Parts: sequence; structure tokens; C-alpha cells
Amino acid sequence: MKEIVTLQVGGFANFVGSHFWNFQDELLGLAADPHSDQAFRNQHINMDVLYRSGQTQRGNVSYTPRLVSVDFQGSLGSMSSRGTLYSESSPAESDVLTWAGNVSTYASEPCKKNLFLQRLYEEEQENGVHDGDGFSQREIHDTDVIESLENGVEYWTDFSKVHYHPQSLYELSGLWMDAQKFDNYGIGRDVFLGSLRGEEIGERLRFFVEECDHVQGFQFIVDDSGGFSALAADFLENIADEYTNTPVLLYSVRGPGSHVNPRSRKQTVSRDLHDAVSFAKLSSFCKLIVPIGLPFLSTSKAATYLNIKDEKPYHCSAVYAATLHTISLPFRMEQFGPTAASCDISGSMNVNELVQMLAAQAWENIVAIMDVAMPAPSLTGTQANQTLLGSLQPLTPDISEDVEDFQAVESVTAHGTFSSGLCRASVAEVNDMVEEAYKQATSRPMFCHLSMAQCPLPIPLPFPSIFGNLVGQQGELLGSPITGFSSKGSLDVHSIPMAARLRSSSAVLPYLENRLGKLRRYGVERGAPGSQLLRSWGFGQDEVEDMGETLSKKVAALKPDSLVSSDSD
Amino acid sequence: MSLRVLNPNAEVLNKSAALHMNINAAKGLQDVLKTNLGPKGTIKMLVGGAGDIKLTKDGNTLLKEMQIQNPTAIMIARTAVAQDDISGDGTTSTVIFIGELMKQSERYIDEGMHPRVLVDGFEIAKKATLQFLEKFKTPVVIGDDPDREILKMLARTTLRTKLYEKLADQLTDIVVNALLCIRKPGEPIDLFMVEIMHMRHKFDVDTRLVEGLVLDHGSRHPDMKRQAENCYILTCNVSLEYEKSEINAGFFYSSAEQREAMVAAERRSVDERVKRIIELKNKVCSGNDSNFVVINQKGIDPPSLDLLAREGIIALRRAKRRNMERLVLACGGEAVNSVDDLTPDCLGWAGLVYEHVLGEDKYTFVEQVKNPHSCTILIKGPNDHTIAQIKDAVRDGLRAVKNTIEDEAVVLAENFTKINVQLTIIGEGAGAFEVAARQYLVNEVKKTVQGRAQLGVEAFADALLVIPKILAENSGLDTQDVIIALTGEHDRGNVVGLNQHTGEPTDPQMEGIFDNYSVKRQIINSAPVIASQLLLVDEVIRAGRNMRKPT
Repeated sequence: MKEIVTLQVGGFANFVGSHFWNFQDELLGLAADPHSDQAFRNQHINMDVLYRSGQTQRGNVSYTPRLVSVDFQGSLGSMSSRGTLYSESSPAESDVLTWAGNVSTYASEPCKKNLFLQRLYEEEQENGVHDGDGFSQREIHDTDVIESLENGVEYWTDFSKVHYHPQSLYELSGLWMDAQKFDNYGIGRDVFLGSLRGEEIGERLRFFVEECDHVQGFQFIVDDSGGFSALAADFLENIADEYTNTPVLLYSVRGPGSHVNPRSRKQTVSRDLHDAVSFAKLSSFCKLIVPIGLPFLSTSKAATYLNIKDEKPYHCSAVYAATLHTISLPFRMEQFGPTAASCDISGSMNVNELVQMLAAQAWENIVAIMDVAMPAPSLTGTQANQTLLGSLQPLTPDISEDVEDFQAVESVTAHGTFSSGLCRASVAEVNDMVEEAYKQATSRPMFCHLSMAQCPLPIPLPFPSIFGNLVGQQGELLGSPITGFSSKGSLDVHSIPMAARLRSSSAVLPYLENRLGKLRRYGVERGAPGSQLLRSWGFGQDEVEDMGETLSKKVAALKPDSLVSSDSD
Repeated sequence: MSLRVLNPNAEVLNKSAALHMNINAAKGLQDVLKTNLGPKGTIKMLVGGAGDIKLTKDGNTLLKEMQIQNPTAIMIARTAVAQDDISGDGTTSTVIFIGELMKQSERYIDEGMHPRVLVDGFEIAKKATLQFLEKFKTPVVIGDDPDREILKMLARTTLRTKLYEKLADQLTDIVVNALLCIRKPGEPIDLFMVEIMHMRHKFDVDTRLVEGLVLDHGSRHPDMKRQAENCYILTCNVSLEYEKSEINAGFFYSSAEQREAMVAAERRSVDERVKRIIELKNKVCSGNDSNFVVINQKGIDPPSLDLLAREGIIALRRAKRRNMERLVLACGGEAVNSVDDLTPDCLGWAGLVYEHVLGEDKYTFVEQVKNPHSCTILIKGPNDHTIAQIKDAVRDGLRAVKNTIEDEAVVLAENFTKINVQLTIIGEGAGAFEVAARQYLVNEVKKTVQGRAQLGVEAFADALLVIPKILAENSGLDTQDVIIALTGEHDRGNVVGLNQHTGEPTDPQMEGIFDNYSVKRQIINSAPVIASQLLLVDEVIRAGRNMRKPT
């Protein structure tokens, strides 16, 4: 078994993470439930890759995500930073043992638990007392819960149903800033190194790594829209130093709020420079970076069957989390040895193999594009946008479409796909279909890795109501819309087939050129309007020029004409 | 106003409103922190929105936990926290002093005085006070064998403001011994060489100093010994796990056999490294009853653990980076980065190594070492907030002792203890320095200043008295009486402090109350700078903020 440690840094990253862990928790629940679908009971997915088993001081067994999450103080809402699993509720808890003098208590208003969390809490109490009235009338209805979540998610903990380990959630104290002010690279620069925070966060990570027999990689999600990218860059540098040979798969996610048009020129300069610097720094400390987050997800092609409200992080993060789940499946598929084939899963690989495959090709492009089909169409679909590959739409911003790139490398993961009707396709069928599709395609990548599983994506109760009316109960695409529903949530859709793809292709060129252009325009050129700002962020002229150099090398490597010239050398 | 023309949305506060906003913010912050001060102060229990408890008597911790919104208050808080970063103490005093400077200035400004004049007076007074501090300080001879008693008094002064007396006295010894353990004459002190480890276990009074090291992890193999005597310690940074080769990832093998062969080759090189360690073990341990412990900064995978366990070697993986340094200082030997460097000389030695398990947490104790230069303060307590508070206090105590050794001077303290006959009562004292400095300013310096800046000096001098005043207030004494008694005594030519138990003036030196020179200097230096800046603010403009909702 090869473990993955997950790291989540920043507000939106934790929103994505919260959904991600909800999926895992749902899968764990369904695997243990004798009444659930066959596909869920035999998942052939090894959860130990992401989870750790432990023991509380009272001797109870615990099973918690192998996770370090970093966020603002106060961003946990009504959840305690030490979780509830390991807390000892002795009555002496509130006694002050260390001081003989006066005690004054400052209690902040308790955060009210929303209906969903109240219900989770009640269910737990019931489970704790096995006898008695376990059948007590549940007072909170599913529909009320969903409505309350739709209208009132403020913190990522509001919709989380997972128990976290006390070492997992780290709050940054003493910043005296909210997300509004903490909005650029410069402001986050000293946060990691100051006040021993870096040391404390590093210790948390070490705690999880030490107990791993063999870490296959880190899955790092960062909200790169503000000061957290500076913190993450310092953290990544630390990781590269400490765990040199462990690959880092970096998802830099952006919430919907970060794309609001700036109000003044000064803000535009600051924003654009942040984008450029943040990308340049983050990409220099990881093996593969995947930028995620469209400015208008609701109207993008990826949301054809979805009904998303762009202003809600709760909605957008659900789509990104679902995709991350799909991408991470090959890392934890059970292995049957090299020759034995299974009809349930295939295409297992580890983080290092994925990173090597995508990033270590001819032009060493470490920026990958993420595409998704949510829900994935069945294999019988014939129209261009209804085939498995045709329906994959990007979640990475600023990329060009329809690029002919014969050097492209991609990794596709599909799970829970239907062959026809509601019959799940076997591994061989999907394989044949993809192969067939590529044979007929006019342009095809140089290499494609395909991973498959039978088990679809389960939709947990706190999942937002974002499915359009063409999506059926098991995620099948309906021919005609059901009237009466505008958007469907977890009560109407129980699971969906998913497909996702990571590709390394020159289609990412506009994204890179955009960053490079911003850096040149505002930072590098003589008399650039942002050079003062960059200095105040602590970057010397040399450093900025170095960043520009690195970015332009990345761009040049991807340009088709430069490929030709390098061939002739 | 021209700004209105430029940006109609801007909110502008005019001069006097801006000034009062700043003064009120400073006073507000002072109000929150002042009850903290001194050994008669109030401990604060903070209960978060989710029910998390934090306990603190430390101004620094309290500031960090508060969600301060007011920009002026944030500016003051940053200064105070920076004070802590530099000198390890004095956060509360800084905030109180800034608040008091603003309060005193308000009086004069309301009478129509220009802030500029006050600020000039502050500057003069600050310089004079710093000079006075040079005279007032008491040199401490550190040399090769420092006076343990002086160091203890310092540590005790700090710790007794944070913890109840019995625990504070227990920790005083621990802190001073820890510091003397890591100190090497002629070299700067690296406080990181004192490991502070905690266990949620037993009670606060079980906190102790471990001569040696406590690691927060154990061996990961069921057959390894849980306790061993006479151990050779190998400190190393060598990967003992199978590493995938960088270029040849899974997809590029032409056959499964080829892949297996590659894996086997990789595996062999790991095993080779393990065998080198085993060879060394056999060399030093054969024919005697000593044991062998490997502490590695890198990973050790199960097959390697197996090999080591079979030879009776105890192995720990993923040790803290800092522990590499600490281990060498505690046990001797040197840290090894490659198996080629393995020689018996690089091994350290410890009389006893054992593991302690608490739930899922494992601790490894490396004890009975020879001539250690690194040690561990092991904090115990029944719950997390108790542990956290003791940890803060220990950090402050260590910093106080370190400052003394580096300053080679102390200042008669604002705090002192009064030993009563029956029971020891912390009488918080004094403000000895503040009283003396104030009298110096009023009696000597003021006369040399021309014109209205005199008033600035006076405001500064009065503000200095805030420390003894608040100390008196916190212990329930009448502040007016106390200040009159103190200044009276001082004018008769004695160095005085406040006995907080009786309210009588006392000589702090007799009581063994000392403060850090560098902490005092830092406070006198930074507080007036911030106060001056805040006083000189003409207008507060709030404009151009992007009002988008945070996610």
C-alpha cells in the first residue's frame, strides 16, 4: 500500500476538500452497507491510501483523512479545530489549573450549528446509545436540511460530514486580516515563516508522513487567489527540501469570487501581478501543477448538465471536488498483480507514474489541463458531444480549444459508465470504445492512459442541488427533461458516472502567455507600473527578471515552431 | 476637500475625529490587556465559537487570539507582537504604555496643544530615559560560570506572572538548568536546542527536565525492543526506503519481467545501505551487552525495518530535522548523510532508550547521556489548554534567561516577590525603574528643555507611571496612595518598588526581582514611536477598497 497525504491551503481549497472528503466518507459508508448497490460494495478501491487508522486515548478506533488543512482563524465555523473524535469531555475541562488568581472568561457567541450539522450530531448521539429508542422520530427532514444548506453555507465545515484528526486542521492566528485584505502574494509572504507557523505546519505534516510506510505522493490543493499562494509556495519549498523524492501533485484552485472585475487600475495591476508571481512561484516547487477554476463555471461547457450559481463557492467547489475524486481513483485501485485482469477496475497507477507520464515528456511541460464530463454519457451516445471523450470539457481557464497537438499526453479516468440503459459498462467495453474513438479521430494524442472503475460517484446528502433536469436518478442522461424540477440535488440523484482527464498539451499555451505578458507589462519593463508594488512584496528586480525568464522558457518550449528547430539540432 | 472630488465614495475623518479614533483604539486595547499584568493579574479564558478553550495570561497570545478589526489597534498589536518576537516578553507592557502615552496626550491636546509639540517632547524624553536606563541597569557577570541565583530570580520573575507559584518555582529550576545545559561559553545561545515536548497525561506538576531527548515517535516494527540500555546512537539522514527511479516510470517497460528486474535492482541498493548499518552495529556491539539505535531523518520502509529488527537494532524514521542537531549535541557523535561515512566515531551514546505509549501517540526517551548540550523540557498536563499555557510560560522563561546572559545586565524589576513568613505570596511589585525614570525626567530633564516641549516630557514621565499604577490596581490597592508613597520614597534617595502585598514601598533588589534590560529598552524605544505616529495623523481616509465578499 502506498499512502497519499493531502494538503489543503486556503479558503476555497478547503471548500473543495470538504466535498472531496464527503465523497470518500459516502463511499466508506456504502461499502459497509449490505443494502447498497453491488458496485459500491465491491469498489476495489483502497481507502487506506487516503485515510489513516488510529486510536483515541480512550481506546476507540478512529479512521480519519490523512490531511493537513490550513485556513484563517475562525474559518472553521462551528467545528472545533481538534475535531470531536479525540476530545475528552471530562467535567474538569474548564477548571483553570495553572493560575491561582482571578480568572476572567471571554466566550464568543457560540456558532450555531445548521440543520445538517444538528442532524449529524443527533445521529451520533443515537449511535452512541445503542439501546433505547433508536427509532425515535427524526425531527429534521432531508428537504429542510438541503434547503438550509442551499441558502446558508458560510464555512466549509457547514456541509462537512467527516471526522478530522486533531492534527489536521491548522488555523492561522495573529493575522488580523480577512480574505478581503489577504488578497495578494506580497501580503502572505511572511506568514509561513513568521511566528513559527511554518514549523508548526511542518510538524503536522511530519506527523502524518512518519506513520506512512511508503508515501507515494502529496496531493496539494491551494487557493491561489490571494495571500495563501505565498504561504503555499513557502510550504512547498519546505516539502521539496524535506521529502525530496516524493512527488507533489498541485491543484491551484480559484473560487468564483476571485474573478470579479477589479475596480481600479491599481487593483488590476496588483491582481495581474499576483497571478503571474503566484503561478511562477508555485510551479517551481512541484512536479505537476493543475490550474483549476473558470471565471464563469455556470455558463461553461463543463456545466452543460449542471445548474450552478457562480457566486456560491459551495456550488463551484462541488464540481472541482468531484473531478479531483475521479482523477485520484487510479492512485488507490487495488492491484491484482501484473497479469491478472479484473472486469471491475483497470489502469491503476501511482502519483509518481502519473507525474512522470504527463510532465517528463519531450518539452517537460509541468502544467496540466483538467477536463471533466459530469455526468459522463453512456457508451451508446453517438453525437460528438455525447461520446465519452467528446464530452470532456476543461475546468482550466485561459486555454485554447481545438489545438492539434501530436505531442499531447493524457490520462483519462472513467468510472461508473453505463454501456446502454442502466447497465454498467465493463472495463473491456470502455477500453474498446476509447480505442475506437481515437482510431477515427483526426487528431489524437501521442499517448493516452486509461483508468476505469465500475463504482460511480456517490452523491452524499450535503451535496448541493446543481444537477439540471436532464440528469436521472443514477446520473444517466435523459432524452427529455423532467418537468417540475429546476435543479436536482442529492435526493433525486443518488450517484453519477464520471469521466475526467488530465492532459499535457500545448493548449495550455495561452494560460502561460497570459501570465508572462502580465509580468512583463507590469513588472519587468522599464518604468513598469507595478515595479514599485513588486518591491513592496519583497521581490528584487533580479528575482522578477528570473521569474520572467523561467516563464518565457516554459512558453518557448511549448511553441510548435520551437519544437521543429530543436528537432533539427 | 480635494479627495472628495477624486473619489466621491471616500469616507474622510477630519483631524480631531481621526485623533480621537486613534486615542480611543489605543485606550481600548490597553483596557483589554491591563488586567493581565503582573503576578496579581487575571488569567483569561477564551472560549471560541465552536467551544474551543484557550487559556492565557500572556499578552502576546491574547493579542493573536483576538480578532482585531480596528486599523489603529492592529498597528499597536503588530508593534507589541514584534516586541515579543525580538525580546520574548513585554507585549502587555508595550500595549499599556502606548495606551497611556495616548491618554496623557489627550489631556494636553484637548487643551489646544499641537500634537507636534508633544511628539518633540516624547523624543527628548525617550532619549533621556534610555540614557537613564543605561545607568540604572545592574551588570551581571556571566563568564564561564554564571551566577545561578541571578538567573533564577529572572526566570522566577517572568514565570510567576504566568503560572501559580508552586509550578512557577518548579519551572524556574527547569528553565535555568535547561539553559545552562545548552549554553556553550563564547557562542550565541540557540534556544531551539531545548526541545519542548508535551504529553497529555498526568498533571502539570509532573513537568520535568529530561537530560537527553524525547522524540514524538517510536519504532514502527512489532519486534523491536521497547527499552534498551547502553545504546550506541546512530543519527543519520539516509533514505532506507525503496525509491522509484526518476526516468523509468511504469509505462515504459517493455515487459513485466523487465519491470520486476528494475524493482529488484532498486531494492538491492536499499538493502545494501541497511547492511552497511548492520555491519557497523556488529563491529561495535559484538562481545558486549550494548545496543544499537538508528534515528533517521528520512524514511525506513517495512523490509528495511525487518532487516534491522532481525539484528536487534531499534530504528526510528522521519525524525525532526532539528532533532538531528539536538541528538548530536545530547549524545555526541555526528550526523551521517551517507553510508560511506559510517565509522564508530560518528556514533553517540545513551544509557537508556525507551518507548512510552499513550493511545496512538508514541514517545521515545533518549536518556542518561554523557555531558549533554541539548535537553528536553517535558510538559505534562491533563488537557490541551493547560499544556499550551505552560508551554507559553516556559518559552518566555527561557527567553528571559537567554536575554540576561546576552545582555549581561538586568534592571531592577517592576515585579518582585515578598516572602511572607508563613506562606509565600507573590507581591507584584514595583515599577522600580519606572518610578526612578519618571522622577529623573520630571526633576532633571524637564528643566533642560526649552518651551512647550516640556509638557511632552511631562506627559511621557506621567505615562511611565502606568506600570506601577496598574500593578497596584490589579492587586486591589489604591493607586493614588501607592504612587505618592513610591515617589516620596524615591525622592529620599532610595531605589523603590511596590510591594504589591502590602502596598508599601520596598527595595526590589532585596526581594530578588529583576527585569530584562533588553526588554525594557525595546519597550521604551518602540512605544513612543507608535504613539507619535498615531498622534500626528491628520486625516483618516477609507477609500477604494474592493468590497467583494470574502469566500
